[in-house]
Amino acid sequence: MTQPLPDVVEVSWTVYSDRALRRRVAHGTVAASNLLGHSVHAVVRGLLPGRQYYFRFSALGRTSRVGRTRTAPVGPVSRVRFATANCQAFHDGFYAAHRGIATEDVDFVVHLGDYIYEHGQVGGHPVRDHEGPAILSLADYRRRYALYKGDPSLRASHAAHPWFLTWDDHECANDYSGTEGAAPFVARRAAAYQAWYENMPVRAGSALEPQLYRQRRWGDLLDLTVLDLRQYRSAQNLADGTILGTSQKKWLLDQISSSRDTWHCWINSIMLSQLARPGGGYYFTDQWDGFRAERAEVLGHVASSGMEDLVVVTGDWHSAFVDDIRPDFDNRDAPVIGTEFTAHSVTSGAYSAEWNTVNGPVMGAANPHLKYFEGNRYGYDVYEVTPQRWSTHMRVIGSRGDAASPVSTLTTFHVDRGKPGSYEDPGSVASPAQYRRV
Amino acid sequence: MTELIVNGDAEQGLTGWLTVAGTPAAIRYDRGDGYPGAGDPGPANRGTQFFGGGTSPRSTLRQSVTMPRRAASFTVSAWLGGYAGQQDGAQLTVEFLDCDGIPRGAVVLGPLTASERGSATGLFERTARGTVPPGSRRAVVTLLMTRAGSGTSNDGYADNISLTVTGGR
Repeated sequence: MTQPLPDVVEVSWTVYSDRALRRRVAHGTVAASNLLGHSVHAVVRGLLPGRQYYFRFSALGRTSRVGRTRTAPVGPVSRVRFATANCQAFHDGFYAAHRGIATEDVDFVVHLGDYIYEHGQVGGHPVRDHEGPAILSLADYRRRYALYKGDPSLRASHAAHPWFLTWDDHECANDYSGTEGAAPFVARRAAAYQAWYENMPVRAGSALEPQLYRQRRWGDLLDLTVLDLRQYRSAQNLADGTILGTSQKKWLLDQISSSRDTWHCWINSIMLSQLARPGGGYYFTDQWDGFRAERAEVLGHVASSGMEDLVVVTGDWHSAFVDDIRPDFDNRDAPVIGTEFTAHSVTSGAYSAEWNTVNGPVMGAANPHLKYFEGNRYGYDVYEVTPQRWSTHMRVIGSRGDAASPVSTLTTFHVDRGKPGSYEDPGSVASPAQYRRV
Repeated sequence: MTELIVNGDAEQGLTGWLTVAGTPAAIRYDRGDGYPGAGDPGPANRGTQFFGGGTSPRSTLRQSVTMPRRAASFTVSAWLGGYAGQQDGAQLTVEFLDCDGIPRGAVVLGPLTASERGSATGLFERTARGTVPPGSRRAVVTLLMTRAGSGTSNDGYADNISLTVTGGR
């Protein structure tokens, strides 16, 4: 549905330091243009670090709901809590996970990608479905974002917290490489990227080639390294292939070289750890397994540079994994240099319970660095980080068919500062899973 | 009406353009070798040269222009093309940025698919008009030429690239 709007709509925004909206600390107006879908990306100045703020917009006589945000702290920080969400196929269920995230006491949310899906209606009897066929044009992508962002739980999650963002493939097209050059794809990519920018709370110097990769510091406690594993990647399984692209790889290697003594969290859309099939080959070479030389180079640099306390948070797989990260996954004598937590999806369908039961142990046997696999549930992760310990709480929902499905904690894994490797909390080691390394 | 782009017609080679990626080139219409020629679809005032992708899979040219104050409306146009039934192509984008470097508007022309060219070698005009987003300080004009699949020649072509504004000073 097209709204009858003029080319330019003036939107005013106001930021307050209190929930009651009595103390105004910043305000301004932005000319929202039809050339960016009347979206608004405001730069707010004068805010203090480590504070909570509230904001709202007004346009055309209407006022938005109130959003809450938080500025990053500087200096000593004793704790940070944040959540990740990933893979939220609209037709696969309701967003009880986002309803849960909205009520979590977290400083921020990270989306790991697959915020939308590009395909058409799935048919059958889903709890809800896409609005039309596969999306290709800018108008298509805008309509798809409008569908997803109409979900009240997703809106609540956005309103409750500030977000950091990366993307995976389905914001554009399944398993794509951003450097593919055929004209139909180049046109589609531009439409997909522009619509993503229009709809996401992100600062970038371009709507058409947004630079997602960046580092953000949460005081002295945590360095967040956001990776873009789609825009610059080559095709898979090439001897000289790249998942990062030349510029991002150099930037990442430089980040590693100059890393400080803190927790390092990589925001990583798609599995970093090796996931080998028994007998040879890999489950999916769309993930880092299709870019093995570059993975070895990056992880080798982590090992040789002495960077410690690396935790990688990942989406894409629609199932939960915990992996030890080694610079050479085929060498069991290689040191553990970090931990990867791959989170459950918000809704996107996982394998069947039967597949998981059979293949959890199969994957475990073929991958000695794999410590845990659980694929029968949906939800999100909450991370609680102190100077001494990283804890990953796997939150799961009861049912994707119920928008108000209750949230529970399936299990918790910890990583102690200065000690590579994770361990499961003794209180939840008996929780259901299809594989545990014992 | 004010033309903001320098050397949009490739007659001065790549003068005025920053090579961001690859090996963009100015190619003569009389070169032959299957490239667009005087008799192929293209602008009537095509001059002697057009932009091509050279020998890299992705070649990008860019220029950042200052927007006149009080610019009211804009017209972006370009002749974009490719080779026969191949899906190599050229895409022209304009992003209007404000004083903080935040995008305030985006315009995308092309690339033309092989079917949109009727599988003909040549260049075809694409145009967009609109209202300049208030607060626009710069316009970043990017010509991306891409090669589909393997091979050597990047047969994304472009010529007569124009960004004009009215009402500015």
